[in-house]
Amino acid sequence: MIENRKTQLLKKTGLRLLGFLFTMLILSIVVFCFARWAPGDPLQSFYGDAVESMTSEELGAARSRLGLDAPLHVQYAKWVTNALGGNFGLSLKYKKAAMDVVTPLIGNTLILGVTAYLLVFALATLLAVTCALHEDTWLDHIICKIGTGIYYLPPFWLGVVLVLIFSIHLRWFPSSGAYDIGKAGDILNRIRHMILPLIVMIVSHLWYYAYMIRNKLLDELRQDYVFLAKEKGLTKRQIVWRHCLRNVAPTIVSIMAISIPHVLSGTYIAESVFNYPGIGALSIESAKYHDYNLLMILVLIAGALVVLSSIAAQTINEIIDPRMKETGVSAWQR
Amino acid sequence: MAKVENSRFRKVGIGWKKVEPVALKPSLKKRLKGKPVFSVIILLFIVTGCLFAGQLANHDPGSFYLQNVNEAPNAEFYFGTDSLGRDIYSMIWYGGRVSISIGLMSMAIISVIGITYGCISGIANAKIDALMMRIAEMANSIPNLLVILLLMAVIGKQDAVTLSFVIGITGWFALARIVRSEVRQIRNSEYVLAARRMGVGFPRIMIRHLIPNFVSSIMFVVVSTISSSMSMESTLSFLGLGLPVDVISWGSMLSLANRALLLDTWWVIIIPGIFLLVTLNCITSLGNFYRKGNTKRHSNL
Repeated sequence: MIENRKTQLLKKTGLRLLGFLFTMLILSIVVFCFARWAPGDPLQSFYGDAVESMTSEELGAARSRLGLDAPLHVQYAKWVTNALGGNFGLSLKYKKAAMDVVTPLIGNTLILGVTAYLLVFALATLLAVTCALHEDTWLDHIICKIGTGIYYLPPFWLGVVLVLIFSIHLRWFPSSGAYDIGKAGDILNRIRHMILPLIVMIVSHLWYYAYMIRNKLLDELRQDYVFLAKEKGLTKRQIVWRHCLRNVAPTIVSIMAISIPHVLSGTYIAESVFNYPGIGALSIESAKYHDYNLLMILVLIAGALVVLSSIAAQTINEIIDPRMKETGVSAWQR
Repeated sequence: MAKVENSRFRKVGIGWKKVEPVALKPSLKKRLKGKPVFSVIILLFIVTGCLFAGQLANHDPGSFYLQNVNEAPNAEFYFGTDSLGRDIYSMIWYGGRVSISIGLMSMAIISVIGITYGCISGIANAKIDALMMRIAEMANSIPNLLVILLLMAVIGKQDAVTLSFVIGITGWFALARIVRSEVRQIRNSEYVLAARRMGVGFPRIMIRHLIPNFVSSIMFVVVSTISSSMSMESTLSFLGLGLPVDVISWGSMLSLANRALLLDTWWVIIIPGIFLLVTLNCITSLGNFYRKGNTKRHSNL
């Protein structure tokens, strides 16, 4: 029986990985077409103003050297074969291989994103439990009011205001970067740089998820087993933490899975407000400068991150929740 | 039967008194209870201000007062001037027009796409439904901001209509999902079946039978797309991918924030931000009013 469940799980995960490849394929086609149909001459961004002084023969030669004159599907095939070998073409702005521009920055983004992600959900769960324990009291009402108010702060504006207060006037935290020059390995220095971006990300996501979890918990408190637990003599806290939260856990994991693109969007904004060297700030930069080779690899990385982590979340969900184990139905059909 | 005349009979009984039906007209205070009055008043104030921007503004919002660059709020420039020497007070009202209309336009686009997509998916058979939802899910799995970045980079035109269009076509997934689940619940009810058997076409079923039945449950989502679109507009403009500085909106005013940080001119950052924030919150509490209340069952705890 256990063996059976294991193979089932493996099979499902395998199918999901196939789905992942398929998604990446479609994503790459869409992004590739977009990038090629886009206005904004790639030659312009590659050669800069030198384009204006080139003759038409020189332009044609440059075009064929960069492979811009072949039909679309040929270009795509060529791009894919190169991409599989890890060659995503030149970044037109940085005049380096796009991969080399991106690789050093992925780590920075992951550190920021993962920390924020874990903090958001830890705090959201805490907040939700507090609200659920004090349902319909002044504490619950105040938390709800403040939470909704804060949720609609535009994150970039919050970031700018934080810089204004804490970096410029109080001089507590640095306003930009991931670390001071020459201190890349200094963890304390990195943390000091991460505090403001983290505050922005937590504030702008916290309440959305805390409220979802709170409502789920409140539904759970209306189940019959709560009576039994109460008759057993458990305290409110014990009931909520040991029984209700455990039943809500799979829901929290699925919410976490759905939230990944949302949180990733958050890092983009936080990064570009605080000039944090990560793939988010780079994406915005490359979109501004029509650097499509770079933008394409960034979109693909983001897509891969999101899809892979949602596969992980679904699998974890199935492992921890025995109720999900044999339903082959996807989330929306339930 | 002849009508009995009232006057022929004498009404008797201990302490009989004619009871006048008292009109149960609740007081104004009672009727407004639980409704977002405060938000509506503030929202009306801001919207009226934007509509009458021409009368309220005391300077030309587009012109550069180069002698008065970066002035703090004073008697002539109520909210100060920005780093280009423009009067912030006048820009607020003109900018509000653009910001609010971008919000409304995006809402319209999101509603049309989301409702249509959701209805089709809800009515269609299981296979098409699964396919449509899978597509929406896939599109939704890429961070929203990234898709918008890509589209803005590709379109390359930065004006209010393009921006609303881009925000609109990337923001309808959540709405479509809710609409679909609502339609799934009512698709087998008698009136829809009857209409289908009578050969009523899909668009008519959607407009006459489906939409009126789920409109109350999507109202909250629809209203809050206004505020999320406005927020997105300002974010994009701040990042330099939305409206350029010379098209005045609250977002493009905030795109000067980075320069304002270096110059330490707080009014350039705070004032448009406060207006944006207040408007967003008012719209949201308006939306919350449409939200279905929780089932008020007593907690077992």
